[in-house]
Amino acid sequence: MPYLGGEEALRDVRRALNNPHVQADPLRYRAAVLRVIRLMTQGADVSGLFAEMVKAGAAADVVQKKLVQLMPGIQEYVQQPLLSGLRDRASYVRRIAVLGCAKVHRLQGDTEVDGALVNELYSLLRDQDPIVVVNCLRALEEILKKEGGVVINKPIAHHLLNRMADLDQWGQSEVLAFLLRYRPRSEEELFNILNLLDGYLKSSSPSVVMAATKLFLVLAREYPHVQADVLILRSLPGHFSSHYKKFFCSYSEPHYIKCQKMEVLCELVNDENVHQVLEELKGYCTDISVELAQGAISAIGSIARTYTEQCVGILTELLGLQQEHITSAVVQSFRDLVWLCPQCTDAVCQALPGCEDIIQDSEGKQALIWLLGAHGEKVPNAPYVLEDFVESVKSEVFPAVKMELLTALVRLFLTRPAECQDMLGRLLYHCIEEEKDMSVRDRGLFYYRLLQSGVEEVKRVLCSPKSDPSLGLLEDRTEQPVNAWAAEFNTLAPIYGKARWALVTAQQPVEPCYAFSPCTDSGNRGTESLVSEGSKEVLKVHPDTGSLTLIPDVALTAEQFEKTWLSLDVSCQQCLPWGGTVHPDTIQTALHVVHIHTIAMSKAGVQPWKAYFIAQDDSGCLFLTELLLEAEGSGMQVAVKQSEAKPEALQAFMSVFRTAVGAVAGLKS
Amino acid sequence: MIHSLFLINASGDIFLEKHWKSVVSRSVCDYFFEAQERASEAENVPPVISTPHHCLLSVYRHKIFFVAVIQTEVPPLFVIEFLHRVVDTFQDYFGVCSEVMIKDNVVVVYEVLEEMLDNGFPLATESNILKELIKPPTILRTVVNTITGSTNVGDQLPTGQLSVVPWRRTGVKYSNNEAYFDVIEEIDAIIDKSGSTVTAEIQGVIDACVKLTGMPDLTLSFMNPRLLDDVSFHPCVRFKRWESERILSFIPPDGNFRLLSYHVSAQNLVAIPVYVKHNISFRDSSSLGRFEITVGPKQTMGKTIEGVMVTSQMPKGVLNMSLTPSQGTHVFDPVTKLLTWDVGKINPQKLPNLKGSMNLQAGTSKPDENPTINLQFKIQQLAISGLKVNRLDMYGEKYKPFKGIKYMTKAGKFQVRT
Repeated sequence: MPYLGGEEALRDVRRALNNPHVQADPLRYRAAVLRVIRLMTQGADVSGLFAEMVKAGAAADVVQKKLVQLMPGIQEYVQQPLLSGLRDRASYVRRIAVLGCAKVHRLQGDTEVDGALVNELYSLLRDQDPIVVVNCLRALEEILKKEGGVVINKPIAHHLLNRMADLDQWGQSEVLAFLLRYRPRSEEELFNILNLLDGYLKSSSPSVVMAATKLFLVLAREYPHVQADVLILRSLPGHFSSHYKKFFCSYSEPHYIKCQKMEVLCELVNDENVHQVLEELKGYCTDISVELAQGAISAIGSIARTYTEQCVGILTELLGLQQEHITSAVVQSFRDLVWLCPQCTDAVCQALPGCEDIIQDSEGKQALIWLLGAHGEKVPNAPYVLEDFVESVKSEVFPAVKMELLTALVRLFLTRPAECQDMLGRLLYHCIEEEKDMSVRDRGLFYYRLLQSGVEEVKRVLCSPKSDPSLGLLEDRTEQPVNAWAAEFNTLAPIYGKARWALVTAQQPVEPCYAFSPCTDSGNRGTESLVSEGSKEVLKVHPDTGSLTLIPDVALTAEQFEKTWLSLDVSCQQCLPWGGTVHPDTIQTALHVVHIHTIAMSKAGVQPWKAYFIAQDDSGCLFLTELLLEAEGSGMQVAVKQSEAKPEALQAFMSVFRTAVGAVAGLKS
Repeated sequence: MIHSLFLINASGDIFLEKHWKSVVSRSVCDYFFEAQERASEAENVPPVISTPHHCLLSVYRHKIFFVAVIQTEVPPLFVIEFLHRVVDTFQDYFGVCSEVMIKDNVVVVYEVLEEMLDNGFPLATESNILKELIKPPTILRTVVNTITGSTNVGDQLPTGQLSVVPWRRTGVKYSNNEAYFDVIEEIDAIIDKSGSTVTAEIQGVIDACVKLTGMPDLTLSFMNPRLLDDVSFHPCVRFKRWESERILSFIPPDGNFRLLSYHVSAQNLVAIPVYVKHNISFRDSSSLGRFEITVGPKQTMGKTIEGVMVTSQMPKGVLNMSLTPSQGTHVFDPVTKLLTWDVGKINPQKLPNLKGSMNLQAGTSKPDENPTINLQFKIQQLAISGLKVNRLDMYGEKYKPFKGIKYMTKAGKFQVRT
């Protein structure tokens, strides 16, 4: 433990706890217990004092009992009180008991989910106390994690919507997040829900506003005009243009806000406000903070792709300040700009002389050398500037600068051979004979041999186009459809990146522990071998709890399926992680093994990819399933409809389905 | 949801940790310290930091970082908002929220945190209800507890929990029934060199202190409700009523609460109450610069501007300043280059003025960046947007309450560029 002197302190307090004189004096005894708690809050490992603390808990002093309770867990004794707590008359007790169920479940580790408990919790969703309701959702979500969390069907969704007003802000924003799983059946129902939730867009709690916004965006995925009413920048860049002044930076704001605001400003520029925005950004370029100043310069650089002339003027003006970090950032912006907007090349070339004395950092030098090499014919003193770099190449610390210098000089040699020949020779000699960095040496050798093969060959290799305006057009604000990012809205995914965050959260212990998991080990073996054609044995899943038995043959035609599908509500919806392409045959085979039959399926490689499946349990309940993969890299959407509402059977079915699909999801082509 | 909480002081010591699920080693904070080192100032530490196995969300208040450790997907603002609530609760309990205070009251802090989050989910966060569960420490109670051996933990379950109105406890009784409302507006503005407004916005709130017996049902109406833009309400306000009639109708929580907050951002509606005349010049040749600023009232509707404080971050090249104020006191810190001038009240007949010279570093070129002048001020009995409360009525109870309303305008982020 990092806590210094912790051992000493522990020994001390142990002595005190065991001292009979201390034990006889309630005040001193309590003080010792208090010290243990204090040590614990400072990160010391006090588990060694467990026995002493349990003993201390037996004292008559109530305060001491309470203190002791802060430390040792007493899971073995809680089961019974917990269950009676669920039915306690005091709502406060029920709230704690409900979450207690989740805690106990976690402490017990990978045991079976207790079906009776799950049912009890589902029924407590109807509790009159709003926090009990929310806690039930939280607890169920945790307990049923392996099955994909709590299922929100129509009655539950409507019940939750009706209770929204009674919840506190935390409850509201969590319930709004749970409601994302529900997909309304009709347009009328959808708009009723949206009307009910309208007020929450104006809540005083930011998290509720965000959660409500996300729900609007996701629920209204088929109604773009509704989404547009709610927002939003990335998909409607013009929407906020008239409010651009809101994104002007205030002096006292933290840096990350200022940087974000500058990025937004770049998005909002239009013909009317470009002048004001540029004036404002120009002010930031001289900020005391180097990071901000450079951020502002590159912001101007990106606006320059549309409003080239004005921006180049401002950037050139900034060079006059002769500040190292400013000049470096400006030259880097110039390099990117010349590549994207060739029409500004002349203006840029006129501005370059003089910069070489000011720039010190690697990035800036590279940008300057690249410009001189690629457009040296337009800069009268280009060879002489490069010559200075060649002279000082021995003291140059950045290998990247040397590489850039080599390329630039060879290029310039092609346009201005007389001025460059001598120093190119010197540079090549240095790089080949004296340079210690291998990649620079190799590059030197490469150019040397290339030059030996004749000027025409060098030209063919090096004189590629000097600009690519089409790239600039591509980078122009493309409108991203709302649905492309709505799922990540109000989550941590943008910071982590979807794939990584999935990894991070997956590292918690969620090992599947089904009694029977038909396909989990089929990962590397061909799935074919698992198919026992015509096997008539009945597969058992979850023998203890909601026992689900899928029968091997279901007699349902595609027409019947379609009719049934349209008449039912979605009772469960999930998104499974999915990477790579879809192999319809593999999926079909894998599901067939667990007696889930394919009705229809798109061809491989089609986007969006869809498939429909049917299964039936021994009680006659039908499970209709739709798989939907909208685009490469997005998750696999699963929607299940049930002919009779049986939450337990549904959960069992989902776990079978996930396992089977999960097994083939990992397969690589 | 929230796995653990670490409290870290300005010098980077973790002085309190609390875990709601399993214990997360405090070494996770190393990622936070890294980010802290990268940010030049404490305010610039990014609020969300990703680490290989956790996500750290933090707020920085009262010179303490409150760092929450997250392991599952959460809405980030949810956590940030909760952390702010934790800080507010500490402030409410102990008067100030400081490292010393937290260390002195470590047991109460732990008990409060235990109630605020259960299994990582927010449980009791209303100060009303929390205080019923865990009584805030007072000197008297501390003494009594030491002698009698009783505790801060309440011996009854919170009664208010069973009320049908979740934000109000039942059976409230007062001998003096009073309801006070404070309309507080903060004006954020950026004024450019020439004195014209670049952007201006008013952020307003109505804070209430309601001590009324029983279950009163209040309505509050405004003379000019259309002024309000982008309004957000306390959950008690009936939204439909506001939409249709522009009236605030609500059963208030007991005690202090924020009834609503709003923006007024239409530029022509935002009056700028002060102006700053400045003449700051760095001469190229000599090592002396000139500095003069004057502050005066502009659109104040005849009210006095008080508590005026001027701060300005001077460029690095300024070595020292010798200035004479016509009123108030001023300080220039040659290390941080921060100039502070505590002006006080503005007398329109004799405008406050600060004048003198600056010693510049010899040999360097003239500084590029012009200092920005930040202003703080207060105006009593005025809501700068012109918002006025029309009347307050009470239904549902028979007694006559005492009603009061107060207006105030303050500077938020008010800056003048030079």
